[in-house]
Amino acid sequence: MDLPIFVLLTQDGVTNGAVYALLALALVLVFAVTRVIFVPSGEFVAYGTLTLAGLQLGKPPPTIGLLIGMASMAGAMEVVACIARGEARQIPRRIALWTGAPLALAAVSWWLATPDLPFWAQILVTLALVTPLGPLLYRIAYQPLAEASVLVLLIVSVAVHFALTGLGLWFFGAEGSRTPAFSSASFDLSGVTVSLQSLLVVITSLALIVAFYFFFGRTLYGKALRATALNRIGARLVGIAPNLAGSLTFALAVLLCGFAGVLIGPFTTVYYDSGFLVSLKGFVGAIIGGLVSYPAAAAGALLVGLLEAFASYWASAFKEVIVFTLIIPVLLWRSLTTHHHEEEE
Amino acid sequence: MHQRSLSTKLFAAVAACGLALTAQAQINVGVTLSATGPAASLGIPEKNTFELLPTTIGGQKVNWIVLDDGSDTTKAVTNTKKLISEDKVDVVVGSTITPNSLAMIDVVADAETPMISMAASARIVDPANPKTKWVFKTPQSDSLMADAIAIHMKANGVKTMGYIGFADGYGDGWLAEMRRSAQTAGIKIVGEEKYNRTDASVTGQVLKLVAANPDAILIAAAGTPGATPQKELAARNYKGKIYQTHGVANPDFLRVVGKDGNGTILPIGPMLVFEQLPDTNPLKKSSAEYIGKYEAKYGKDSRSTFGGHAWDAYLLLSSAIPEALKKAKPGTKEFRAALRDALENTKELVATHGVYTMTPSEHNGLDNRARTMIRIDNGKWVLAK
Amino acid sequence: MTPSRVALLAFLALLIAIPLVAPQFWVTLGNYVGLYSIVALGLVLLTGVAGQTSFGQAAFVGLGAYTTAVLSVQYAVSPWLSLCAGLVLTLALALCLGFITLRMKGHYLPLATIAWGISLYFLFGNVELLGGHTGLTGIPALNLFGLELRNERYFYFLIWGITLAALWATRNLLDSRPGRAVRALRGHLEMAEAFGVDAARLKIVVFVYAALLAAISGWLYAHLQRFVNPTPFGINQGIEYLFMAVVGGAGSVWGAVVGATLITLAKQLLQDYLPLILGKSGNFEIVVFGILMVVLLQRARDGVWPWIARLVPAAKPPRLADAPPLPLRPQPSITTGTLLDVRAAHKAFGGLVAVNNLSFAIQRGEILGLIGPNGAGKSTMFNLISGALEPTSGDILYDGESIAGSLPYEIARRGVGRTFQHVKLVPAMSVLDNVALGAYLRGTAGVVAAAFALDRAEEARTKAEAARAIGRVGLAPHLHDAAGSLPLGKQRIVEIARALAADPALLLLDEPAAGLRFLEKQELASLLRQLKGEGMTVLLVEHDMDFVMGLTDRLVVMEFGQKLAEGLPAEIQSNPAVLEAYLGGVA
Repeated sequence: MDLPIFVLLTQDGVTNGAVYALLALALVLVFAVTRVIFVPSGEFVAYGTLTLAGLQLGKPPPTIGLLIGMASMAGAMEVVACIARGEARQIPRRIALWTGAPLALAAVSWWLATPDLPFWAQILVTLALVTPLGPLLYRIAYQPLAEASVLVLLIVSVAVHFALTGLGLWFFGAEGSRTPAFSSASFDLSGVTVSLQSLLVVITSLALIVAFYFFFGRTLYGKALRATALNRIGARLVGIAPNLAGSLTFALAVLLCGFAGVLIGPFTTVYYDSGFLVSLKGFVGAIIGGLVSYPAAAAGALLVGLLEAFASYWASAFKEVIVFTLIIPVLLWRSLTTHHHEEEE
Repeated sequence: MHQRSLSTKLFAAVAACGLALTAQAQINVGVTLSATGPAASLGIPEKNTFELLPTTIGGQKVNWIVLDDGSDTTKAVTNTKKLISEDKVDVVVGSTITPNSLAMIDVVADAETPMISMAASARIVDPANPKTKWVFKTPQSDSLMADAIAIHMKANGVKTMGYIGFADGYGDGWLAEMRRSAQTAGIKIVGEEKYNRTDASVTGQVLKLVAANPDAILIAAAGTPGATPQKELAARNYKGKIYQTHGVANPDFLRVVGKDGNGTILPIGPMLVFEQLPDTNPLKKSSAEYIGKYEAKYGKDSRSTFGGHAWDAYLLLSSAIPEALKKAKPGTKEFRAALRDALENTKELVATHGVYTMTPSEHNGLDNRARTMIRIDNGKWVLAK
Repeated sequence: MTPSRVALLAFLALLIAIPLVAPQFWVTLGNYVGLYSIVALGLVLLTGVAGQTSFGQAAFVGLGAYTTAVLSVQYAVSPWLSLCAGLVLTLALALCLGFITLRMKGHYLPLATIAWGISLYFLFGNVELLGGHTGLTGIPALNLFGLELRNERYFYFLIWGITLAALWATRNLLDSRPGRAVRALRGHLEMAEAFGVDAARLKIVVFVYAALLAAISGWLYAHLQRFVNPTPFGINQGIEYLFMAVVGGAGSVWGAVVGATLITLAKQLLQDYLPLILGKSGNFEIVVFGILMVVLLQRARDGVWPWIARLVPAAKPPRLADAPPLPLRPQPSITTGTLLDVRAAHKAFGGLVAVNNLSFAIQRGEILGLIGPNGAGKSTMFNLISGALEPTSGDILYDGESIAGSLPYEIARRGVGRTFQHVKLVPAMSVLDNVALGAYLRGTAGVVAAAFALDRAEEARTKAEAARAIGRVGLAPHLHDAAGSLPLGKQRIVEIARALAADPALLLLDEPAAGLRFLEKQELASLLRQLKGEGMTVLLVEHDMDFVMGLTDRLVVMEFGQKLAEGLPAEIQSNPAVLEAYLGGVA
């Protein structure tokens, strides 16, 4: 292997690793606040890319249908809950929030989805369509189970993953799509071409990691969000609304995932079921971070990306075997060195 | 008066029996295919094709029962067992992919029910033995197509080649065949790489192949994932010839591969470019009929070679069923045996992918008429020379 | 004939009826349900009870399937022999993997199981010998006493015979000495280790057990389908097995069967009827399936089995037979004199010194009280003695031998029993079972003996012993109640009963009187005096001064990690330093 190849492989590994890092961020975020292991994160990555691809073709993307469907379901659930609690007066406000707002968003997106919509606007519309799916998903699937054990929440995540994958196949078809890059510029770095797009991906991930680290570690609101995961009643007693925390977290996480989808679209063909393996690799990164630490999660994701790139050069048939076998000693090391607080079930 | 009313009653009774018999004499065809899961891009066109099929053959009502097996072997076997024991099918069509089809062989052989597979590997029907005597298949074997590639390569002065393909049954099958064909044609394989359908990048694999600098590279993939190595090769400025397989012959591939696909060569069943075939080619008419129906319902350029495999299965059945009906009633063991015999006796049946001639030792039945080389020119499929 | 027995017989009758009279396809489905149940059963034990989430069971199924495929196809080995080979191979691999992965705590473990699940899947697919991704055909049918099991109806009996045997074995296992230990593994590791459970070893044993069950299922699968390829052994199937266990009810062995049945039937029904409702052109089964599962879990967090179990009124627990007592623990060699000697024990957490060169001794047969204000370091000292923490320096001698830095179960083995400041009972287990856990070190039954019900004699003795201990502390009416249903005060007493069941020579009690009413405290005090009369040595950490002064022989007072005073209760009560620091100052 000579230097140019080494550099290319490293660039590939770092770029992919940066995308996995975004997913790892989302996973750590969701777990830290809601104790949910967010398996469907990959689906939202795919939805991001494929929605943008749909807009590129000048047609209203199928995501609008999903948004409408979920908004209706959430609205219905809110009505039932309000009646059960005897708060029928709250119903109009609730419906406006959970159904009205998403429907308005859907309508605007429909109207905007024309072939002459500029690229940056298409990205905004994509994010605007995908992000609300997060809080809606939380409301429909996870909020009723907020006190359940981590295992049950994990199984629910798996079920949601099945449903979203199936919906993805129905909406976007079995074939994949690519999206245009933000910029096709590239420049020379000691004889090797580095594309601006890859650099953008890496820089965005880094910026987000740093932002999250500070937000959750240093700001009061961030710490409040973390507190809800450990003790919901305690959080409510000090004035934190756990449901609001959960919804916001999911919104943020799905925004991250959708954005990751927009970022990887230029490099890869994305399919309705690409998401699972991508989120799995993000999961590896998140676990290496102990599901608490953002920098460690990002480092772990980067490690996976690099391992993958080099393994695919050396022995492509056994690439997965190599990556996943080498992860085990890393996990072992992390497990032994972190002080683990045993879960009280 | 007395006699006439008696004979009228008798006539009515006989007619009623006859009607009842014909009413029960519907033919059940069970289909299991992979409309979801990794092989969805192959199975969906097949499923679409089954929805176009007529509901009578040879004057008998035909009931098409289509099930999805999600690209999973266990499900394919379960579906087959259900079709045989619950729906009492006379013939099983499926599955879309080789592992599923291989798993089904034992089941259909035990139930003495004929099976027409839509999967590629020759292993499904070879070697001839008491089990595979019940199994037929419509797609061209990988070996037929691999030979076509090797011949084309040799004719164009290719001495060394590289391979990159799926890490699954499709890729494995192609690699095995290509190794054999290349050796026969005196072409050396200098690099073998594998990748997964959903892989985000194939940089490592492509770098390694390009470093070996072969004259040509074969990409063995199905559907749009075939574009991933191709675009990477273009990014690496690879200047050699690029060959693909019939798995990518669908419009989505063209959409994704874009400009980077120009000049790619692949062997396919002629149906894909039937408009460019000479009128003397018998496949032109049959392909026109099928593709006309398909595109009328599913849109222009939605044609897929995989759908053709399903249509060819229908054509085989439409020629074999009338023969079998002469010997037995549908729903009986004898009918299934007769159907099997009739399928095995198919001679010069003009279908969309080729002309089928079956024998006891040849249950695929295709020859060189079932393949042609095409090239991508400016985002379109064009007959290659 | 109890209702639950009737239900069981009805189930068995249904099971047998299927291959005899039902349509062929029902038999097909029944076979698959049986195969999946076997794997799900292992998961119930591993994940539901022991709390180790595993997504990798499908890989072990693959191991069992491929072993028999390769051996019987390529080398014409008899399938029964290849079953043994598969089990041996699985045992070896599970030991290796378990040794590495089970050291991981928390969320590292599930990911590690995913990791090796994926690795094994790709290994299966890439090795030529195993047929690659295309698979291996021509696996022979099983031959049972000359009867070739080609027919699914015959195979059904084999599959369900094995499933029922596995159910029986697992049920036995859960209601046995190792079973109680496994049930304590989840969330009560520290407590279990304090009673002598080698948690690390037990986790690996449970892991291997689950892996062996999976391998058996794989062997059956290979000979049922007579074809293998990697697809059924990938991560998706691994997820599905876990799904079945959780949806069915991961806390009970019947949950495995319920889960497998429910998921298999749901998928089949969806495939049959959904196209009629939603039209043929889509493929919505998986979507509807996912949504249904979410709704199900929202309604039934613990799975479906608890619902079903409620329909059948619970059987009254069997009367405990009178059984001879378990062998007593060996007594310490010292009959009089210092039993526990704390020599300059020192514990620092970073910059914070919790125990500062503390020295005291406990004489054989005395009740020593350890008191002090909050934050004095009493609990830390307590944990140093019981082995939960390791001293930074200094030594602790028990019966003349150093126990500083020993692991909790090693110290337990020496004859030290303890209770906990925060009650650590397994809430779902009965009081009897919780106390029986205390007698862990007095029994020897292992997992194999337990599974095959060879331990029934010892089990009877253990249960009788536990019942005796419960009777001594006055909780006999609550013998079969769930420990979590008792009020906190009574739970503390259960902890004492548990400690007694271990037949200790030294009893460490951490605030036993907290939460007890006056009369209960008096009963506890008289119980402790009675124990002392029988030769027990007791170290007591307590806040209730009346309780302590009236009960203890001597007192050690701690403040800021150091010994403030030591002596008879009367002396301590008039010690000015103690009065100032702790008892409220001189009036």
